Amino acid sequence: MGAKMRKRLTNFLLNLLTAVLALGWASLIVWAIVVSFRPSSEPLGRGDVWFGHHLTFANYLKAFSLAPFAIYYRNTIIIVGMILVAQLVTITLAGFAFAHQEFRGKKLLFFFILLQLMIPAAALLVPNFATIRKLGLFDTTLAVALPYFGSAFGTFLMRQAFLEVPRDLVDAGVMDGCSWWQLLWHIYLPPSIPTLIAFALSSVTWHWNEFLWPLVVTLSDKSRPLTIGLVRFTQLGEIGARWPLLSAATIIVIAPLLLLFLLFQRQFIRSFLHSGLK
Amino acid sequence: MTRKTVVYFVALLLVLSMALAGCGQKATPTAAPAATQAPAATKAPAATEAPAATEAPAATEAPAKPVTIEVYYPVAVDAPIAKILKGYIADFEKQYPNITVKPVFAGGYGDVKTTIQTTIEGGGKPPALAVMLAADLYDLVNADYIIPLDDFIKASPDGQAYIDDFFPAFMANSKYDGKIWSIPFQRSVVTLYYNADLFEQEGIQPPDSWQALAEAAQKLTIPDKRWGIEWPSGWPYWLFQPLAIGNGQNIIKSPTEVAFDDPKVIEAVQFYIDLSHKYHAMPEGVQKNWGNAPADFAKGAAAMIVHSSGSLRGILKQANFKVGVMAVPGKQPGTYATVTGGGNFYILKGVSPEEQQAAWKFIQFVTQPKYAADFSIQTGYIAARKSAYDTDAMKAYIQKVPQAGQIKDMLQYAGAELSCMNLGKVRNIFHKYLQAAYNGEMTPEEAMKQAQKEADEALAMFK
Amino acid sequence: MTAVSPPLRRSRKAPAWLPYVLISPTLLIVLVFTAWPTVQAIYTSFFRQYLNIAKFRTPTFIGLGNYRQLLTSADFHEVLRNTAIYVLGTVPASIVLAFLFALLVNRAVKGIGLARLSFFYPTILPMVSAATIWMFFFTPDYGLFNTFLQSLGYHGPQNWLGNPHLALLAVMIVAVWKQAGYLMIFYLAGLQNLPQDVFEAASIDGASWWTQLWKIAFPLLRRTTLFVSTIAVIDAFQVVDHIFVLTQGGPSQSSSVLLYYLWQVRFEDQNVGLASALTVVLIVIMLAITVTNFLLSEREGA
Repeated sequence: MGAKMRKRLTNFLLNLLTAVLALGWASLIVWAIVVSFRPSSEPLGRGDVWFGHHLTFANYLKAFSLAPFAIYYRNTIIIVGMILVAQLVTITLAGFAFAHQEFRGKKLLFFFILLQLMIPAAALLVPNFATIRKLGLFDTTLAVALPYFGSAFGTFLMRQAFLEVPRDLVDAGVMDGCSWWQLLWHIYLPPSIPTLIAFALSSVTWHWNEFLWPLVVTLSDKSRPLTIGLVRFTQLGEIGARWPLLSAATIIVIAPLLLLFLLFQRQFIRSFLHSGLK
Repeated sequence: MTRKTVVYFVALLLVLSMALAGCGQKATPTAAPAATQAPAATKAPAATEAPAATEAPAATEAPAKPVTIEVYYPVAVDAPIAKILKGYIADFEKQYPNITVKPVFAGGYGDVKTTIQTTIEGGGKPPALAVMLAADLYDLVNADYIIPLDDFIKASPDGQAYIDDFFPAFMANSKYDGKIWSIPFQRSVVTLYYNADLFEQEGIQPPDSWQALAEAAQKLTIPDKRWGIEWPSGWPYWLFQPLAIGNGQNIIKSPTEVAFDDPKVIEAVQFYIDLSHKYHAMPEGVQKNWGNAPADFAKGAAAMIVHSSGSLRGILKQANFKVGVMAVPGKQPGTYATVTGGGNFYILKGVSPEEQQAAWKFIQFVTQPKYAADFSIQTGYIAARKSAYDTDAMKAYIQKVPQAGQIKDMLQYAGAELSCMNLGKVRNIFHKYLQAAYNGEMTPEEAMKQAQKEADEALAMFK
Repeated sequence: MTAVSPPLRRSRKAPAWLPYVLISPTLLIVLVFTAWPTVQAIYTSFFRQYLNIAKFRTPTFIGLGNYRQLLTSADFHEVLRNTAIYVLGTVPASIVLAFLFALLVNRAVKGIGLARLSFFYPTILPMVSAATIWMFFFTPDYGLFNTFLQSLGYHGPQNWLGNPHLALLAVMIVAVWKQAGYLMIFYLAGLQNLPQDVFEAASIDGASWWTQLWKIAFPLLRRTTLFVSTIAVIDAFQVVDHIFVLTQGGPSQSSSVLLYYLWQVRFEDQNVGLASALTVVLIVIMLAITVTNFLLSEREGA
């Protein structure tokens, strides 16, 4: 009896704790969404930080009129897309070479590639900026994307995935006289698709959200991604603390990823589990 | 099944991004898209506008060959600057058919400077003309980006009269080494906004001294409900300067000499602190509320705020009471002070003399009284030329919004904005120690002494 | 990450140069954007160069001058101290919370999926968006964070972003809020891989929930913890986006950390030499961390 009661009490307390924490964590996004529909004629104040007297879309329209969010969207999608396409190709090829082929200097070269994991790009901001300038790519979407066209982590992941492909299958392919790309395409790749997807999701999320590197290598709206656009928006002269407007801008920036995430929660979580080391 | 969906989605994304990449490349050459945009710094210089040029030469001139110039400009206020400028340019090109002006919206003030800097460093050709912060003068000279304008002024028929028509307070940041380097364009001043209804209700006169200001603020404070005054200090030098000037000592003496540790400056720092600690009429410490303050004021959560004159339009739109504007009272009764801010026209090095000549013509054109007045009315900036205030449009506007006229009259009390060699560094030093004093980490005296020492070091290599 | 030596295979017709071609794009990127810049940073750190001053625009060799300047710079010392506080504060806090979250949502209770969602969604938000919302939460007088604290009986200063003693803490709170849910999923995976009979045995013994936690689960998840700490530490050094939105390193430099300071020196002061020296410092720190982690996980037999 006592033990049972205690167990129920414990469970109740744990549930309560979970609920309080979860509400606390969720409060930010909930607040942002609620306030983004608040009329701008009603500034927030003490005890008045929730819904306004009616709901309005005006903040979204105003945000779009004050900053070219559509162009920022385009840029972000181009950047994320370029990186993704390039990475999927480069990591598959390199992963295949390291998993399937034998060549002189293989270990050394693999280690060399892993350097990218040891010295994160953020630390190399200054010299990489100089390189982008020299390449004449400054203020282009390509400048934002280029340093990520090769991924040590992705290469590593694909190599692991390819190594798990049953040897019999590979041998059979070799016997049949498959060329290297047939082997890769028909035998190695199909079972490794989940790994590719996991990598792709985390890559998209990561680059959608990136800030510091694009801040440094972009200068005009023709190349600026959403994150930079948002920060500039928050600093816009008289925008200051018009919170409904700021919330609307924030929601504009995060909505696509958030929706995707809600739809594919499990895949996202799995993908992030896979990609602990970026 | 879900996996399949994901595969489709990823595939879709790829196709989409490639398609978009295609359009992106096509779009690129058309240069910067429009839309308002933000200044890099939090400061947000404000407003007012510009100058009236000597009634521009009427007849259309027809110089030899067509010239195209670029004008880089920032947007730092919530006004359709791009649209306004395009209208002026259309008028200009009608009068000078052989000159084409291409406006390039570059972002905030910081962006204009960075864009020019990166262009020049990369060996590219800078624009002929740019609107940059008035306070950036020495940095631009040191970087060797700009040319003096004296030859143009001398060559103009009414050159001297033209220059003399600009408010001297705005010209203060244009002169160096005996030369004139920039022409005031979108300018503003620090303004004390007060809730005139409240003042009347409580029987308080607009303050005419530090003492009166502090007492009014104290009287109007209702704990947990209303501050007597809000005075943002997240990016503090600009809003602080009127206090120093109002005590008889600006924080800057020459391009290589600052007066941070002058006893009068220290006293001004102490007064700011006193407003919270002694009078309890202002939030304590550094107030990161540049953005919040106008809304707080309009909502009645602050009886007074110190802000840019450029915020007037926004405040008038929101406030449902009578808004008073004035310069910041000085220490002695009957004295007042403010400081200018905002951007000027600069002509750049590295472009042909013909383009520089065309840029000068454009400056003269858009600073004509007619355009200066219009720009002021549409944006909230102060018109930089006296004669702009004689135009009918401006008179009608001031009739309607008397505060705009009062703000212009504050120019008589205006000192020069902090501007010196190595400005970024010196300003950071001042900010660091001013905030340390505001936050009570150091006494005003300790803080300003240390700021002076570090600023002297930062300026040493320019002496 | 062990270097399992892969089976030796080669399809018959593949030419000897093929593998080099296949890895060349990746190699090229690593060469151009990781190896070369490291060398370049070391080289330029020996020069004085200010881009914004014409007479100092040409690089001049000054030996260790930039490093000497760092050693004597009060700003740099403060930044190092802030960085240490930031890392040593956010990493353990995120890990403890992550573990707690994992335990809480690893129970079969109705609606637990929502809780998991709530803890995890910050992971997929851009840091700058999160920080923008937090900026409101930190607003004095009516920001929700302050309102919440007041309801708990807090009456301290509310001026989170302007107070030198709170600004760094505010920035850290945002980082922990953002990261705990991400780290949670590793513990969640770890917990789900633990043999359930361990827990069952423990509850028969009447071991309390907390005992189960700390005495049984946590030690079993030592490898996860090592892994998670590495991610957390590396992120703590690399993610400064929120500082751009919330405090710009202020007031009085009190919330500036290494990477943010590096950005300021290079792109505000335009001091290329000093920024390069800072880059070298950062590279050394990052290498030290990753190598340490590598050695530790080798010892753990990962």
